[in-house]
Amino acid sequence: MALLTMDAAKKSATSGTSNKPRRGLARSTSGGWKQVAGNQAFLIPAIVVFIFLFVIPLCQTFYWSLTDFTGYSTDANFIGLSNYKIIMTDPSMLAGLGFTLLFGVGTTLLVTLLAIPLAVQLNKVFFGRNLVRSLWFFPAIPSMAILGLVWRYILSPLESGVLNSTLHDLFGINALPWLSDNTLARLSVIMVGVWGATGWHAVLYTAYLQSIPGDIYEVARVDGANARQQFFGLTLPLLTPAIVVSTFLLMTGGLKVFDLPYTLTNGGPGFATYTLTQSIVVSGVSQGRYGLASALAVLFTIAVALLAFGQLALTKMIERKFV
Amino acid sequence: MKKTVLKLGAAVLAASLALAGCADPDSGKTKVTFLSWTGEEQMKPILEAFHAANEDIKIEASYSPPVAEYIQTLQTRVLSGTAPDVFVIAAENKTNLLDGGHVIDLSGEPYISKVESFNTETYGRDGKAYGLSVSSWAAGYMYNEDLLKQVGYDTFPTTWDDFLVMSKKLQDAGIKPFLESVDQMPTTLSAWIGAKTNTMDGKLDDKIFSGETTFAAEWTPYLEQYNRIYTEGLVSKDVVGLDGDMIRDEFANGRVAVMNAGPWVINALRESSPDLKFKFALVPGVDGGEPFAAGAASPGYAINSKSDETKQAAAKKFLEFLASKEGVQIFHEQTRDVTVTDDFEPEVDPAFEPLASSIRNGQLYLPMIAWQRSEDILNVEAVAQIQRMIQGEITPAEVAKAMDTKLAGS
Repeated sequence: MALLTMDAAKKSATSGTSNKPRRGLARSTSGGWKQVAGNQAFLIPAIVVFIFLFVIPLCQTFYWSLTDFTGYSTDANFIGLSNYKIIMTDPSMLAGLGFTLLFGVGTTLLVTLLAIPLAVQLNKVFFGRNLVRSLWFFPAIPSMAILGLVWRYILSPLESGVLNSTLHDLFGINALPWLSDNTLARLSVIMVGVWGATGWHAVLYTAYLQSIPGDIYEVARVDGANARQQFFGLTLPLLTPAIVVSTFLLMTGGLKVFDLPYTLTNGGPGFATYTLTQSIVVSGVSQGRYGLASALAVLFTIAVALLAFGQLALTKMIERKFV
Repeated sequence: MKKTVLKLGAAVLAASLALAGCADPDSGKTKVTFLSWTGEEQMKPILEAFHAANEDIKIEASYSPPVAEYIQTLQTRVLSGTAPDVFVIAAENKTNLLDGGHVIDLSGEPYISKVESFNTETYGRDGKAYGLSVSSWAAGYMYNEDLLKQVGYDTFPTTWDDFLVMSKKLQDAGIKPFLESVDQMPTTLSAWIGAKTNTMDGKLDDKIFSGETTFAAEWTPYLEQYNRIYTEGLVSKDVVGLDGDMIRDEFANGRVAVMNAGPWVINALRESSPDLKFKFALVPGVDGGEPFAAGAASPGYAINSKSDETKQAAAKKFLEFLASKEGVQIFHEQTRDVTVTDDFEPEVDPAFEPLASSIRNGQLYLPMIAWQRSEDILNVEAVAQIQRMIQGEITPAEVAKAMDTKLAGS
């Protein structure tokens, strides 16, 4: 009974908050095709920006990927698919693939699992709420490169490292090789990434939570739903649009990560925390192999696009089921 | 009315001319653009002295910090056709700048003959000189004199075996013997390869890059020796997660007896630990080799081949000043670099003296700058594989083999 009522309340909430115009109504009140064309004209600046900042650079990158462009001269020779062949045959070119995927998926899952409950807590009324929200949001303000340098000192594997000495003083634990053991180094990079992103995404979820009418919780409470039932029956389904946005941003950002692992571990030990983006930057800028770096970037763009669209399709499917 | 308009026009013209005169006090001078590797604070006195001595030339300096940002900035400017008239040629861009014909040949210029031939050859090719390098740097081992005395050492070991014996004694005495950052090519390996190259009259890399020999054949014995310090448990494998600053802090606080270091740590150590007694030493020799230092000629000043003749002539005057006694003296006072010109003797910190003689004699080696192509590709691969070796994931032979594979594919 409680769940039935919650379902009704949820439908009422979603229909109440929906701003989608009805097609027929839009046409009848828009003033015909001229008005529609006028409305579409507002998209032109965005399209122009998209073309100049995405389509043209992407086409250029594809062109360079078929050449031996060094970055020092525009006199590049057409070499066909040689750069793609090198990527496929040289294992070190794809050394960053594993950790890039691990970081993208790991941070997406962990941040989502932490940010939603955090947002629910931050949405409640309590003394000092704004201060607590600010503290959680703080890690999102400095660049990840700076955070990486700070955390490099905190996670130093030496006995004198900040975390190691604290753990030793408090619990008598011996120094842990945070950044010098492959597994711990990977874990450290992911945990710092999660720490840096959780607050920002919690604020995103908080914004969505505030758009959920309070009376549906009132109805659910009257109907006897406990806190857990309210969370899983109301909050979580109604947060699905926010989850779609948040996970999309996390996944694409995670796959493109460069600054955090670069400053925290410089891709090491060995290639343990090496990322594909670092591979692209190092090949292009440091090694003057822009053609090769472009080929890697093209493949990377395609892979990220496929993953992102796949994720979008999946989350849309879930959204349709719950909302 | 007509008179008023004329008066107004004349006034505007006069004001414009006056403003033009005010706006550009350097009009009539030859302007030379310069992208500096050295910071603005250090470069400013040099430029002021140059301008005072050359009133017909104006150096328009811009600054970009080394290394990656400088390389990228210069690369972008070269590609877009806005490269400065004078810029820096370094290990990281030498091959691309020379292959692309972006720098002019400075051979035969009188100021080139004033610097050590080691420095000229570093930024040269086929007997030609493309960069003016007025200083060099060297790195070796820095040791805590008090900690070594505790285990009975007044002088630093000169062979690797003796160094390992000393490390064991330090370890038994509860002192961390040695830390070396391996986030770049280890100083120890660079010095050993340098010592070997030195006995071969500088031909080792020629042979490797011509295919006459391989990294596997030449580097494996040294990698095996280097790995001993980790496999024998004398040094923690945690070095793969440390950078130079972390190790310097350990040394400054007396928590490690020996570290790899260069002159750049001296001032920081004197400030943070004024009571610390330290000294530099050459890297102990291995397999009968001589003790040696890692190091290289500092980046050289180069002239843009696309600049017009007037600017190139003015740029050459600038380089001439940079190599002059006055220019080098100011440069040394500002940077504390060990300069290598024939008419100026730089002051050297007494602790650094054991390595300073290597600089004066050009007895330095850095693989990255000695390799003939694919320098950064090989360096990135070597550093990553050496880290894996230290962790025990691969053998020394596999490190060298990976470098051969990389060279073959690049």
